[in-house]
Amino acid sequence: MRFTTAIAASLLLVSPGALLAQDQGVTDTEILLGEVEPLTGPPSLLGVAHNLGVRLAIAEANANGGVADRQLRLIAEDDGYVTSRTIQSVRKLISVDEVFALTALSGSGQAIASMPIVEQFGIPTMIPIGPLPPLYEPPVDNIFVVGQSYTEGMRQLAIYLAETYPDMNWGVVLQDDDYGNALHEGIQQAMEEVDINIVYETEYARGQTDFASEMLRVRDAEVGVLIAGGIISENIAMVRETERLGIDPVIATFWPGRVPEVLAAIGEASDGIYSVDYVAPIQSEEGQAFLELAATYLTEDEVGRVNRYTMTGYSSTRVLIEAMRGCADDLTWACTIERLQSNAPLDTNVMAPIGFGEGNRFSNSEVTIMRADYETLSFVPVD
Amino acid sequence: MRSGYYKETLVEHINLTDTRLQRAWIFIGLIALVAAPYFFDYYGLSLVTLMIITAIGAMGLNILTGWTGLISLGQTAFMVLGAYAYAISTESWDWSPLAGFALAGLVPAAASVLVGVPSLRLTGLYLAITTLASAFIVNHLVLEFDDLTNGSSGIFVNRPTILGFSFDTDQKFYYLVAGFGLATILACLNLRRSRIGRALIAIRDNDNAARVMGINLRTYKLYAFVTSSFIVGISGALYGIFLSFVTVDGFPFLLAIEALAILIVGGMGSIAGAILGAIFIIGLPEVTSFAFSAFGDRAQSMFATSAHEIKGLLYGLVIILFLRLQPHGLMGLWQDAKRLWSLWPLRY
Amino acid sequence: MSYLAELLASGLAVGAVYGLIAMSFAIIYKSTGLLNFSQGEMGMIIAYVAWSISTATDGNPFIVALGSIVFAVIFALAVERIAIRPMMNEPILSRIMVTIGLSVIFRASVILFWDALPHGMGMPAGEVLVSLGGVQVRAAQIAVIVVLFFAIAGIWAFFRYSRFGIAMRAVASDDSTAQLMGVNSGKVQMTAWGAAAVMSGTAGVLFAIGAELSPSLYALGLKAFPATILGGLDSIIGSAFGGIIIGITENLVGGYISSGLKEVAGFVIIVLILMIRPYGLFGEKRIERL
Repeated sequence: MRFTTAIAASLLLVSPGALLAQDQGVTDTEILLGEVEPLTGPPSLLGVAHNLGVRLAIAEANANGGVADRQLRLIAEDDGYVTSRTIQSVRKLISVDEVFALTALSGSGQAIASMPIVEQFGIPTMIPIGPLPPLYEPPVDNIFVVGQSYTEGMRQLAIYLAETYPDMNWGVVLQDDDYGNALHEGIQQAMEEVDINIVYETEYARGQTDFASEMLRVRDAEVGVLIAGGIISENIAMVRETERLGIDPVIATFWPGRVPEVLAAIGEASDGIYSVDYVAPIQSEEGQAFLELAATYLTEDEVGRVNRYTMTGYSSTRVLIEAMRGCADDLTWACTIERLQSNAPLDTNVMAPIGFGEGNRFSNSEVTIMRADYETLSFVPVD
Repeated sequence: MRSGYYKETLVEHINLTDTRLQRAWIFIGLIALVAAPYFFDYYGLSLVTLMIITAIGAMGLNILTGWTGLISLGQTAFMVLGAYAYAISTESWDWSPLAGFALAGLVPAAASVLVGVPSLRLTGLYLAITTLASAFIVNHLVLEFDDLTNGSSGIFVNRPTILGFSFDTDQKFYYLVAGFGLATILACLNLRRSRIGRALIAIRDNDNAARVMGINLRTYKLYAFVTSSFIVGISGALYGIFLSFVTVDGFPFLLAIEALAILIVGGMGSIAGAILGAIFIIGLPEVTSFAFSAFGDRAQSMFATSAHEIKGLLYGLVIILFLRLQPHGLMGLWQDAKRLWSLWPLRY
Repeated sequence: MSYLAELLASGLAVGAVYGLIAMSFAIIYKSTGLLNFSQGEMGMIIAYVAWSISTATDGNPFIVALGSIVFAVIFALAVERIAIRPMMNEPILSRIMVTIGLSVIFRASVILFWDALPHGMGMPAGEVLVSLGGVQVRAAQIAVIVVLFFAIAGIWAFFRYSRFGIAMRAVASDDSTAQLMGVNSGKVQMTAWGAAAVMSGTAGVLFAIGAELSPSLYALGLKAFPATILGGLDSIIGSAFGGIIIGITENLVGGYISSGLKEVAGFVIIVLILMIRPYGLFGEKRIERL
C-alpha cells in the first residue's frame, strides 16, 4: 500500500499541461477545430445559426485549398446553455478530441466560467457570441473576443435617440442579470454626454412572460422612448403589450434579439423599432452577398436559418483561419496567437474589419443603428 | 452452493462488512479509486469527479427520500446555498476552506429547518411542493442580495488549499472529492445501521406504527431533513469548486429532477443505488453521444439538429422505462442477479 | 382609476390562463391523486398543433378550435393509457417521476417536430383589439376569460349533479373500493385526463395568440402550479379562483411595487399558504397533521 502511494505521490508532481502537445489537432490531412454552443432548446436559435457561420467559413476555406494543405474539420458540442455542460464539453474538446483551436465558447456566462480552463491550456479561442468585459479585461493571451460590448452599443444608441428625439420621457425595462447591468451601464455613460430624463426604470426577472403591468407604468408615465432590454420573448411580449394599450413610444432593442422571427412574431407593431448591431442587416447589399455565399455551401434548409449570429461566427472564424494560414510552416498555438495579434484587420464585408493587437484581445467592432421594416421583415440602417 | 447468508447476532447484522469476499471487493474498489487518475485522461477524470460529486448529493437526498420517504424537489436550493456559502466565506471573507466546507453544510441545514418545521407536518406531497417553491425563492434571494452574492455575475472559486496541501490540479481535486465521497459513504452507512437510521426507515414504512413504537415523527423527520441538507450543501460546494464558478445558472432546476432520477434508476433507499444511479445518469449522455457517433460519423462534424434533440428525448424515455419495467432500479437488478446466482436452478 | 382598471383587466386575463391550467392540475389530482408535472408541456404541444392547423387553414378560428380539441383529447388519452395507467399501483413518487420524464420528452419533441423559434399564431381573429369600458383587450384574452367562466360553471354542475362526477370523487377517495362498487376507474381517469388536456390546451392556445408561441410556453405550467395550491389541490373551482387571484396579484405587485417580485410572488404564496392553510382556500381539510 505504501509503495503504491509513493508512486502515486511522485506521479502527482507531473502536471497535465506539460503532457499535451502544443500542435494537437493537426494531422497530415486535416486540422481539427472545436466549439461549444446551445444546439438544442430555445437558445438554439442563436447556437445553430452561429454554427452555420463557422461551417460556412470552413467550407469556403476548404474549397480554396484549406490551410497549409490540410482540410479543416469542426466538432460542435451542445451545451444547451448549461454551464456545467459547457465546461465538460470544453474539457472534452481539448483533451479527448484534441482540437487545434476553439471557435466559440457558448454564451457570455458560460464563456466566463470556461475561461480558467481555456487559459490554463493556452489554446487559441475565438469568442463571437456574447462579448462581455470580463472576457477581455484584463486580456488573456489566447482568448480573442469578436464583437462589441452591450454597454458601448447601448451608449451609442442612447445618444442617437436622445439627439433624434429630444425632450422625451424615457422608460427603461431591463433584465436582472449581466445583460441588464451592461445596458444600464451604457445608459449611465450616455447620460454623461446628453440629457436623458428617465421617468420609469425597472428590472424584471429573467423568464418573465407577462409585461402588462410594466407597459401600463410606461403608459402612465407618458414615456416617449422605451428601452426594451429583453432578448427575444420578452421584447415580443413588451411590444405587443404597447400595441394593446394603444401607446406608440420609440422602442429600442439590441442585437441579441435582432432576428426576423422576432419581427414576424410581434406583427405590425414592430415597424420602426430601433436596434443596434455590429453586423450588416440581411437586406443590405452586404447581407444579400452573404446569403449568396451561404447558398453556395449550405443546404436550402440551413440558409433559411442564417441570421446575424451566422455572420459573427463566419467573420471570427475567417480571422482565425487567416491567422492559421500565416502559420502554414509552423502550425502551433504560439504562432497562431502571434498571428491573430499582429495580422492586419480582416474585412469580411459583413462587419467592420476585425483586428487585435499587443495587449488587445477585443475587436471593438463598430456598431450601426438600424430600424426595423415590418414589410420586408428586415432592418435598415439609419443615416 | 451456498444457500444464503446467516446472521446469528445483532452485531453481525449491523457490521459494515460481513464476508471476506466483500472485504476483498472493497479493497479492490479503494485501489481503483486511488488509481483512477492514471487510467483516465483529463476528460474522463473530470467525468468521474462529477459522478462522485453527484453521488454525494444523491446520497444526501437518499437520506430524506429513500430512507424517510419524504419527496424533496429542493435539491438545487440546498446546493446553491452550500455553493454560495463556501464561495462567499472563502473568497469574500477569506476563511479557510475547511471552515468554508463547514459553512457549506451548516447554512443549508439551517435553511432546511426553516423550510421543514412548517411543512413536515403535512403529507409528503406538500413537502415536495414546498421544496419546489423554496428552490425558486432561494434563487431569487441570491439575485436579490447581490452585495453579498454578486448577483447574476457569480463568484469565482479557486481550488482549495487545506492544511497547506493545495488541491489545484485536477488530479488532486479528484482525490479531495474522492475523500469526501468516502466520508459520505461511511457517514451514511453508519447512519443507516444506527438507531436513527432504523427510525427513519420505520417512518417510511408506516409512520403511524412508528409513532406507536415511540418514535417522535417531527424530530426524526427534521433530523433527516437537516442531515440530508448538510450533505447536499457540501456536494453543492464541491460542485461550485468543480465549475470554478458559482452562479445561479450553474444549478438549474433540472438538477433536482436528475437527483430524483438517480435515486429511482439506482434503486430507492440504497447507498450503492445512489452511487450506481449517479454513474448511470451522468454517463448516459456520453453513451448516447458515443452511440450516435458510431451510427453516423458525419453526425460529429455536420450536425443533425434532430440528433441533439433526440438525446433529450432518450433521457426522458430512459427514466420512464426504468420506472415502468424496473422500479427497484439497478440495485433491484443486482439483487435479482444475486438471487438467481445463488438459487439456480431452483426458483426460490 | 383607469390605471387600476387596466391592471385588473390584465390580471384577469393572465389569471384566467393560470386558472385553466390550475384546474387541469386539480382535476387530475382529484380523480387520480397524481400530480401531473407535464401539464404545462401538454398545453404547449396542443398550442403548437393548433398553430400547424392554423397555418394550414389560414387562421380559421373554428377549425383551429375544433382541431385542437380533438387532438387534445386523443393526445391525453394516449398518454394516459400508455404511460400513466400501467403505473397505477406504484408508489406516488414513481408516478410523479413518470410525469416528469414525460415533460422532458414533450419539451424535446416540440423542438424536434417544429422548431426553436418564436412564432405568431397567425390568427388575426384572436388579436383584434376590443375596447371594453375604456380598457383595450385582445379578443383572445376575452375568450380565455369566457372559457374559464364556462369551465367553472360546467365543472360545478358536473360534479354536483352527474353520476359520473360522483364516481370521479369516489375514485380519488379510494380507487379499489370504487372499483368494487362498480365504478370503471379507467374511464374516470381517461375523462379526467381528457378534460385536463382540453383546458390547458385552450389556455395555451389563447395565451399564445395574445403573446407568442415559443418553446418556453411550458413555463405557464410552473406559474399555474401555485394557483392550484392556493385554491386547494382537490378543489377544481378553487384552483380556478386561485389562478385569478395570482394573476391579479402579480399585476398589482408589478404595477404598484416592482417588477422583480412578480415572478417569485407565486412561490412565496405557495409557502405562505402551506404554512397557514395547507389545504388551500377552498380545499377540504384532509391533510394529515402530525
